[in-house]
Amino acid sequence: MAKQVLIVIKNISKNYKLGEVKVLALKNVSLNIFKEDFLIITGRNGSGKSTLLRQIGLLDNPDRGEIILNDKNVVKLPESKRAELRLKKLGYIFQDYALMSDLTVLENIMLPAMMLETTKNAKIRANQLVEKVGLKHRKNNLPNQLSGGEQQKVAIARALINNPEILIADEPTANLDTVAAKDIINIFKKLNTIDKHTIVMVTHEKNEESCGSRIVRLMDGKIIK
Amino acid sequence: MKSETKIPFFLINRYLLRGNKWKIVLIVFLMAIAFINLIFVSSLFSGIIKMSNDQIVNAYTGNIMITPENGKDFIEDADEKTEAIAAIDGVKAVSTQLTLPASLQYNNIKGNWSVLAINPDEEKNVTNVSQKMIEGEYLDADDEDGIIIGRQIAGGKDVEMDAFSFKNAQVGQIINLSLNGISKDYIIRGIFYTKFINTDQRAFISKKSLESLIPDVFMDKTNSIIIKTDNKVDERVIIEKIKNIFSANYYSWEDVAGLMTSVTKSFSSINVLLYIVGMLIAAITIFVVVYIDILSKRQQIGILRAIGIKPYLIDSLYVMQTVVYSCFGVLLGAAIYFAIIVPYFNAYPFQLPIGDAKLSINYVELIFRAETIIFVAIAAGLVPTIIITRMKLLDAIWGK
Repeated sequence: MAKQVLIVIKNISKNYKLGEVKVLALKNVSLNIFKEDFLIITGRNGSGKSTLLRQIGLLDNPDRGEIILNDKNVVKLPESKRAELRLKKLGYIFQDYALMSDLTVLENIMLPAMMLETTKNAKIRANQLVEKVGLKHRKNNLPNQLSGGEQQKVAIARALINNPEILIADEPTANLDTVAAKDIINIFKKLNTIDKHTIVMVTHEKNEESCGSRIVRLMDGKIIK
Repeated sequence: MKSETKIPFFLINRYLLRGNKWKIVLIVFLMAIAFINLIFVSSLFSGIIKMSNDQIVNAYTGNIMITPENGKDFIEDADEKTEAIAAIDGVKAVSTQLTLPASLQYNNIKGNWSVLAINPDEEKNVTNVSQKMIEGEYLDADDEDGIIIGRQIAGGKDVEMDAFSFKNAQVGQIINLSLNGISKDYIIRGIFYTKFINTDQRAFISKKSLESLIPDVFMDKTNSIIIKTDNKVDERVIIEKIKNIFSANYYSWEDVAGLMTSVTKSFSSINVLLYIVGMLIAAITIFVVVYIDILSKRQQIGILRAIGIKPYLIDSLYVMQTVVYSCFGVLLGAAIYFAIIVPYFNAYPFQLPIGDAKLSINYVELIFRAETIIFVAIAAGLVPTIIITRMKLLDAIWGK
């Protein structure tokens, strides 16, 4: 049976300006993301992998091309609609965790869910997730009281709270030590194999490539594999 | 209520609980200072206007002044008319004054000042001259050779009109009064200082002493009746009632104010100008502080956008935050104002030539200026938030 396509990326290109120099970060990239995929996007520094991920995560807009999500081209959508898609369909995990510094672990996790349901229900779900990522004992701590690995677990739990169709992770282990990195990768593996989450992850760690079901390699803004 | 609308309230609560306390205190303090700046000058001007009005009423004319009808020099049958006026509901006290065409001489200095023959007991119920004696004593009703003079007549160091005064006349010394070719020596019983220059250029003798000076000439005559009314009573109502008793010229204290009325109007214009300038300064200061505060949070705003919080909620969050800051600022400013500044200026009023000015609060203006601060804060919060929520998401997250 053919796999369900969640996102279709059609010929997207993206330019950046570095001072006076124009950098072509993505050149006519096309890609399908299937349900239950664990897609690894890899490549050297500057190959365009994070740029591609930001287009998929609707954090940035390509200059050309289309991104089809739920049969709709989302490139031209107004910001409020894109915010709604980020909230409901996508769970983005940043390299540097991007947690709200004035919110506790539990509050960081429940915040996106509060957009859609009552505080009570959001709290119940956040408590389940905080337990799932093994941070029950830290749920009332502020982010600056946590290690890097713990903060990344909070970011993962936050990304999961609204049951997104796709989890998007931008080098989630880049700032972590080996043990913490392994821990995070194991969480992603379980989320994909047991909970059947679709995951798109950027990494340049060779040993993390093997955990994916599919690998896309980028070089100079083009998919080479 | 849509589920998402609780987000700003939730985040404000957490920011206030866990945000940098010193930063919050500083922002609130700045808003408090901006608020005080907006109300201080207005209160000072109101205080000066109130003081000058009070001075006219208390030291000069009472609430109502009656002078002879046109073509006449005196109000005849003054005692009878005074009794009738005193019986009117709302009249607290009445005093008759007789301004004399007299000149005063002290040593070699001679001058024409207003010399008024009064009944001292009546006068002290209408004006406050009796309470403003800085040297000596007030007149007794049966004092036949005593005179009290204003500080501007007595003169001395630091007296504004010293050049045209008796240059430091003292209590107990003799002043010669000349009237219609008759002269009499008077002993200075006291020197008063009301700080209302028109009154301080007056001298008072008792009617009793006038009778001994020129018997029968001025008997039962007066050329001004001054009336103290109850504060709650409209002077115009009393004037209407007096008109039914006898004909004369009737003036409320506002009619007499003359120059002060135009000064009051000038103060009102200056007040509006200073309000606009103060509001601009407050707006710019609050805008800069709030802008820097929100700019320092652009990464957090970027994160909120990235996890799907809608821009309007982020706008609301920071606008509400500045509303909270400004409300606390107004409350703190009001607390500082009423607990420290007003009591201080009550104890140490501004000393002006026309009197001591305290701060006078007009509560309608106070509320208007509080609203101004809150409105300015809303604008100051909204503009930078809109800029950040509309900038490229990645730039916001990266704090560019």
